Amino acid sequence: MEVLRIRSLTFGRILVPLLIVAALAVIVTGCGSDDSSGELNGITRVPPARTGNLTLPDDSPQSGGREIEVKGQADGLMLVYFGYTSCPDVCPTTLADLRNALAELDPDQRQRVQVSMVTVDPDRDTGHVLNGYLAHFFGPGQYHSLRTTDPARLDRADRIFGASHKLGKPDADGNYDVSHTALVYAVDPQGTVEVEWPFGTDADLIAEDLKTLLDKNSQNPDA
Amino acid sequence: MKKLVLITSLILALGIFVAACGSDDSDTDSGGTGVEVTDVWARTTTPTQDAGAIYMTINSEDGDALTGVKVPASVAGMAQLHETTTGGEPTDSESAMESDDSESMDSGDSGSMGTDDSDGGSAMMGMKEVEKIDIPAGETVTLEPGGFHIMLMELKGQIKAGDTIPVTLTFEKAGTVKVDATAQDQ
Repeated sequence: MEVLRIRSLTFGRILVPLLIVAALAVIVTGCGSDDSSGELNGITRVPPARTGNLTLPDDSPQSGGREIEVKGQADGLMLVYFGYTSCPDVCPTTLADLRNALAELDPDQRQRVQVSMVTVDPDRDTGHVLNGYLAHFFGPGQYHSLRTTDPARLDRADRIFGASHKLGKPDADGNYDVSHTALVYAVDPQGTVEVEWPFGTDADLIAEDLKTLLDKNSQNPDA
Repeated sequence: MKKLVLITSLILALGIFVAACGSDDSDTDSGGTGVEVTDVWARTTTPTQDAGAIYMTINSEDGDALTGVKVPASVAGMAQLHETTTGGEPTDSESAMESDDSESMDSGDSGSMGTDDSDGGSAMMGMKEVEKIDIPAGETVTLEPGGFHIMLMELKGQIKAGDTIPVTLTFEKAGTVKVDATAQDQ
């Protein structure tokens, strides 16, 4: 009995510092993995969201309604935003920030970035409306107008990104309010959401993150 | 006597000169009504867009409140005072951006952002109409992206860079103030 107690005491004395060291190691590793992604300005989730096999119809001129995978192409990134075009404030501000961020990239880096807006208001945002809206901010071939009229598919896309949206009740004139998650998600070719930027993130900070991620992806395109 | 006439006419001339300056400066002045409205701009829109926004900076020495807004019917069917809101409680994502690295790791750790029905972490943003925008005495209130704005609905045409939109503001004390918004592509 006596021996056992001593033993457990000793064990405890060793165990506690060990636990502390282990905890520190976890924290350090945590920091480390953050570092390896190159000190991103935006938010990184642990574990990151993954788009998996998510596809959505793309009404952009180059796709003409074809389903596309919601992920970066080859060694590029897809920036995904949930919004609607009757949005006068938050959406155009965000898209203008993205446009300004893209303008800071070298042309070959810029080419590797696609911008996708998923409309949460497909009734009002026809493909035509969505294309006109996005063409205001981005060059031909650089944007995707993702639009599904199936609420279940839109909800699934929301869930994958941890986003949500809500349409208000129409007033007498048929106008209604829309609430939506206003983050921009950067998705790599494997469908991993590498970073997300909240509304109001500076274009410079977004550009920095894009450069970091694009450099990383071109170093190991298979990763 | 002659001297007095000369001075009076000088003052009058100066007065006219000043008034001329004032009217020239129409988008940065309120005509001595106690509020000062500056940096009035409208965001450019796309041809297919039916809503737009106007922003500005308002200053009032004695305190006032913006209670109404009008734009010509040729520009938009309706103009309202709006505020952009972030739904629910303060979100993980927002606090993470404002704080340092260690905190942003916390937000990742919480794991709540990715789960199915977590509205809390997803920073839902919306808009609501407001009855008035208070301008506290001696303070400057900025209508800017992500905060207060004048929402234009039922746009009659595209707002292009450089366009000028006449805006009539109504203040509780200062009454009607007319300014011009310049369309900017930003």
